[in-house]
Amino acid sequence: MSDYTLNKLKAPRLLYWGIFLFLGFLIVIGLASSSYMEHEGHYVTGMNNQIVWGLPHIFAVTLIVIASGVLNIASMSSAFNKKLYKPLAPLSALFAIAFLIAGLIILVLDLGRPDRLIVAMTTYNFKSIFAWNIFLYSGFFVILAVYIWSMLDFNVTRFSSLVGKIAFGWRIILTTGTGSIFGFLVAREAYSTAVLAPLFIVMSLLYGTAVFYLLLRVISRLQSINIPDEITKNIRRLMIIFLLANIYFLILYHITNLYISKQIAVESFILLNGGGYTTMFWLGQVGLGLVIPLLYEMTNDEGRSFGLTITSLMVLVGGFFAVAVIIIGGQAFPLNIFPDHIILESSFYDNVIHSYTPSIFEFGLGVGGTSLALIIILILITNLKFIPVKK
Amino acid sequence: MLRLLIISSLIFVCMANLQTISAHDGNPHISPGKSKADSQEACVEPTDVMRKEHYLFLLHQRDETVINGIRTKNHSLANCIDCHVSYDEKGKAIPINAEGQFCQDCHVKTATNITCFSCHAAEPRYPNHEKTISKDELKEISKIAKRIKDE
Amino acid sequence: MNNRRHFLVKSASALTMTFIVPSLLSSNAQAKKPLDQKVTDKKSWGMHIDVDKCVDGCTACVDACNEENGLTGFGRPETDSQWIRKIKIKDKTTEKITTMPMLCQHCENPPCCDVCPTGASFKRVDGIVMVNQHTCIGCRYCMMACPFKARSFVHETLTTQNTNAPRGKGCVESCNLCVNKIDHGSDTTACEDACSKAGHNAITFGDLKDSNSKVRLAIESNSPRRLRDDLNLKQKVFYSNI
Repeated sequence: MSDYTLNKLKAPRLLYWGIFLFLGFLIVIGLASSSYMEHEGHYVTGMNNQIVWGLPHIFAVTLIVIASGVLNIASMSSAFNKKLYKPLAPLSALFAIAFLIAGLIILVLDLGRPDRLIVAMTTYNFKSIFAWNIFLYSGFFVILAVYIWSMLDFNVTRFSSLVGKIAFGWRIILTTGTGSIFGFLVAREAYSTAVLAPLFIVMSLLYGTAVFYLLLRVISRLQSINIPDEITKNIRRLMIIFLLANIYFLILYHITNLYISKQIAVESFILLNGGGYTTMFWLGQVGLGLVIPLLYEMTNDEGRSFGLTITSLMVLVGGFFAVAVIIIGGQAFPLNIFPDHIILESSFYDNVIHSYTPSIFEFGLGVGGTSLALIIILILITNLKFIPVKK
Repeated sequence: MLRLLIISSLIFVCMANLQTISAHDGNPHISPGKSKADSQEACVEPTDVMRKEHYLFLLHQRDETVINGIRTKNHSLANCIDCHVSYDEKGKAIPINAEGQFCQDCHVKTATNITCFSCHAAEPRYPNHEKTISKDELKEISKIAKRIKDE
Repeated sequence: MNNRRHFLVKSASALTMTFIVPSLLSSNAQAKKPLDQKVTDKKSWGMHIDVDKCVDGCTACVDACNEENGLTGFGRPETDSQWIRKIKIKDKTTEKITTMPMLCQHCENPPCCDVCPTGASFKRVDGIVMVNQHTCIGCRYCMMACPFKARSFVHETLTTQNTNAPRGKGCVESCNLCVNKIDHGSDTTACEDACSKAGHNAITFGDLKDSNSKVRLAIESNSPRRLRDDLNLKQKVFYSNI
């Protein structure tokens, strides 16, 4: 793909508007859900004083993790000088911006007081990882914008490699920040380990690559072009590496917790007797998200694109479960307020495994937010030249 | 002598009336109801200042109160409400953000949103006892309110 | 004119002071802080709970807290706020069953304040950990961070708040050791009053820096511990005889 030019998306008009309106409809649903939640208060959601973060946070964290992950393709080109991905780098940076916006919008719309966003932007507690993340996210936007500019404007392309390297460094820190939101919580036994930060990084690499491949497939369909075999094969290789890395860090994370004897209870909750959470872990996160894709791709020697598409979808679904197990599973297990005692009674559910049934509004918000990412991508690639086409 | 006394006492009564009617630095009370404020001659700051800048006082005081524990009354929202809240015939306070009431009335006219009362009580309300106003006080307040209305 | 206005203002304030303050003051107020002075670190409020004196089935402290702070629920126990709650526990080895109130432990190193992005969770200089609800954005990160589940999120619109305890939808809240009472010179909390009124005297509140305060005496005559002291949060709520 040495001889290429960037072009706008030229999808059939009807198809374009069909997708546009469908996504727009989902966004309206998302906005309506969130305004209903804000107006009524969070009691209409499945979240409560026990499970304080729910489905919106699963969506948001997944999207933010994906956002830093999709930049992977650009990093390959700029930071690791892999020529193959150079044509796709601007697209990859664009995806990153879109998914980051979507994730953050969901987070903000789920706040108890979204009207006070300005407070969050102006009043900082610098000890808070959330506050660092606000800087990491806004910094990421700026770097990505400069990065895209440096790749698209031929006057400044000589800087693109440098900006690409900065973006790569920044995304690693950003995902570390996302992982640390959970990793620094001493109160929750499922969380308080620094392994969560690298785990989030490998998760982002995996999910980001999967999302990138899926979107690339969709775009190539719309544009009626083929993805070069070389790229499919390369992405397959990447997927296998990232799947292995994920499995490694996941095992490391659980071994760490199992080794700390006071955390065996929460581990056996996730791994053995947590009911729905255990199922989500083994079937969703491990089976669907890691093992089956890995086994399949190991045998997919020719790098068949259909197989890779299915794998990517499975990885994404598994990833969603992985984040759910971390966020909901971690909260569902009751706090260990009295290590030497059994709690017999409490009016505040201190002695029970909390259950969580998300409401339709939380789902609406999550889906609406995800659609926002897609519509941003759709609008930008139809109006700006992002798609590499052979000359 | 008697005539003089009568006249002077009449003048005195009129002046007394005048004084209450032109409450708040010579301005009639903007939304006469049945509140303690109606019987006061002045607010905690000059009326013009209060009209334009009351939110600044409240904004300043809120941080002083929450963070530093300063509980002075002059610029405290609780005290504003205590004085400006209107009472119905039974001596029960009407929420100050209800339609036509002191805070709401003006904020509707100026199309500004009050966010105070999503958290703060809109009427004096304390634990263990219902805050009502005494009969005598109410009578006094209603008299003033009526007089202002008649003017 | 100006002078007279000031006089009137003062008398008006005095009038309201006589209206409001007596209801907040308790009779045993001592060396109260003037209302216009900032709180200082000369005091450090703390609490001692003698678990042996706490009676199973008694909810006097909880009721008093709800009354003082206007915590009226909506009959939805999963989302209704609880600033203080009763817990019954059994020792894993001795099998001793005890019951006790759980509330915000007012840590010296509060995890809630560390994680709060806007600094709305803060520790006042006199040691009270509270939420500045003017800057709370309702992210609930503090609830994730608290090891004692001390905090509640207001899940629905409130209309019957007390003047002394502002609280509203979309913010996180928790026990603030009756900060309004304390600032008006009281040295008891609603729960302590209720516990002694019920004749149990399990809760003792006071200034930890005052060597003669009742809370110090209670701590010195017992050998209390802090919950989860492995976390080294240095809470100011102590429990004896767990």
